[in-house]
Amino acid sequence: MSVSFKLPRLRMIAAGFAVATSIAIAAPALAQADNVLASARASGIVGEQADGFVGVVAGATASADVRARVEQLNIRRRAAYTERATQRGVTVNEMAAAVACEIFAGRIAVGEKYRGEDNQWRQRTASAAVVMPSFCPPA
Amino acid sequence: MQNLRSGPRGWLYAAAALGASLSAAACIPVRLQAPDEPIEINLNVNIRQEVIVRLEGEARDLLQDNPDLF
Repeated sequence: MSVSFKLPRLRMIAAGFAVATSIAIAAPALAQADNVLASARASGIVGEQADGFVGVVAGATASADVRARVEQLNIRRRAAYTERATQRGVTVNEMAAAVACEIFAGRIAVGEKYRGEDNQWRQRTASAAVVMPSFCPPA
Repeated sequence: MQNLRSGPRGWLYAAAALGASLSAAACIPVRLQAPDEPIEINLNVNIRQEVIVRLEGEARDLLQDNPDLF
């Protein structure tokens, strides 16, 4: 009687331990993906775009690995945009543009390149602030 | 009724008639039918600022909830 009472609880504990372990194993892989893209971003190979997605800078040489990571990142971003856009009753483009405005306003570091509304790649420098898209509300 | 060909206003009528015929000859035929192709409006650039303003909070939440994506 006491054994059958404890077993379900043990199963729950074991299951929780397995889940935690799998997350711990997966986490470093995710962190590595960030590092590869982070260094590509810092070296001007990839950059944020006014449409809310990440792109390979024109003329830059990006490895197949970087390109694949960019594509995966954009797929996940689009899923997040779509989910929120559906909730708010707006188009995916509008949700993505709103996020792009937030990114352009504060998440493009000095030295990074970004693609503006006119599809031109620019670099944010100490003397050149980020050119905001026209559809972004004034700060 | 005054003779249209003679008199002080005769040349005026002649000039008006000449002008009317010239402009009629230079008339470009006007197409009164609607064009075949539907009018295409490119909305890519036309994202309204009001929508973006309303989504500001949502955008910030999205950024905070998905730190690995940004």
